[in-house]
Amino acid sequence: MNINLTDILVYYDGVQVFEGRDADGGHYIGVGIGPGISTNRYMVTGAIPERLRQFRVGQLDLRSLLLEAPEGQWFITVDKEGGDAPLFLEPQPVPVAECDCLPGPNFTLDDDPIDDLALREARGRGNIVFEFRVQPPEAAAAPRVRADTLAGLLQRLQTLLKCAGESVAREMPPSQRPADAAALCLMDVAVPAAPGSFRVLLEAAAPLDTFGPRLLFRSLERVDALFAAAEDPEQAVELLKPYPPSLTAAYGKLLRFLDEQQTSLWYAWAEPTCRDASYSGVSAATAGRLSQELESAAVKTPA
Amino acid sequence: MLIYREPLPEDCPPETAEEIVGPWIVYRRVWNDPPIDDDFRSQRAENPSKKFNVSECRARGVSVFVEREDLETLLKRPNFGGGQIVQVALDNGAGAIEHTSRHTSHHTWWPLAAYDILARCQVT
Repeated sequence: MNINLTDILVYYDGVQVFEGRDADGGHYIGVGIGPGISTNRYMVTGAIPERLRQFRVGQLDLRSLLLEAPEGQWFITVDKEGGDAPLFLEPQPVPVAECDCLPGPNFTLDDDPIDDLALREARGRGNIVFEFRVQPPEAAAAPRVRADTLAGLLQRLQTLLKCAGESVAREMPPSQRPADAAALCLMDVAVPAAPGSFRVLLEAAAPLDTFGPRLLFRSLERVDALFAAAEDPEQAVELLKPYPPSLTAAYGKLLRFLDEQQTSLWYAWAEPTCRDASYSGVSAATAGRLSQELESAAVKTPA
Repeated sequence: MLIYREPLPEDCPPETAEEIVGPWIVYRRVWNDPPIDDDFRSQRAENPSKKFNVSECRARGVSVFVEREDLETLLKRPNFGGGQIVQVALDNGAGAIEHTSRHTSHHTWWPLAAYDILARCQVT
């Protein structure tokens, strides 16, 4: 049986961990078994798409994924030709659990960190660019996202930015306070599906030489601060206290949505003169925990 | 004209790579203590006739991680071998670098010939 390498998950002086597919669409995971770094010898097992996704987003370690091989079957393949050449899988006689070439525990990946596309696009477009990436369960088999999930996420993200913009505007002296703060924080979808996993690019709707992008910049900084505290629910609740309830509500709705859709949200944003993009986001699990904490804090302190 | 440690194909490093002008700290596994030049050879230099699953440009770069933990995780791969982790300080004149992984802090580094890597290595 042959498979084709479809994605390189870990690379270091050569392919270390990869995903593959067979002619019937079956999914596989392969890991280098040496010797040395520049290996072309791999152990391969079949994998359930959802479990592969969980490995890709850091929720499952490599050893556990390999041990879930259907019927304990595993293979060895030698990538003799490189390039796009199919990989021949040679079945192994012992169950995968008895294989002495399994990786150690806790070999996990990062949850799909975002690269610096936002910064490149911000410089190229001369505008504030916000990039986000989602990896819902339906993305396990192919780069896709349900229309409801995408629409819901866009709507909640935009609401959060508008509420953050309004909260920033309230802190300004009345003479400088814009009357239409929410409208100034509107963003347009500029690239609906950039290459990679499911990633979307937004850019500021208002022209750069107006007040809008400055307010949007500050509201994005405020949103960054919220996500930076996401791992510490108590701190997150404290952080939100001085802000209008609408911001807390918008943040809570977004988190609950991520929890319900079981998708993480990672984003990067940049403006053209930034040296580096700002990165943040939450995993689905963190979103669930924080969403519950915000709801229980709201019950304790009714408006 | 920039002269790299290894001959590179046209359009390499790619436009998406960043010219190193400020300080970077990267990590690489080396076999020798102290490290020697051969510890920083590209895949292509190690395997002149091999066909790779990545572009020729990338095959002629050097793999490094920005996060040390990512390299430590990789050591859990079976038969990855021994050696040790070194920290390399990159600065103006080090060449070009690009983030080349969606799941790790792996970067591909194309060192300039004049950059004295060994003087900037520290076993950690």
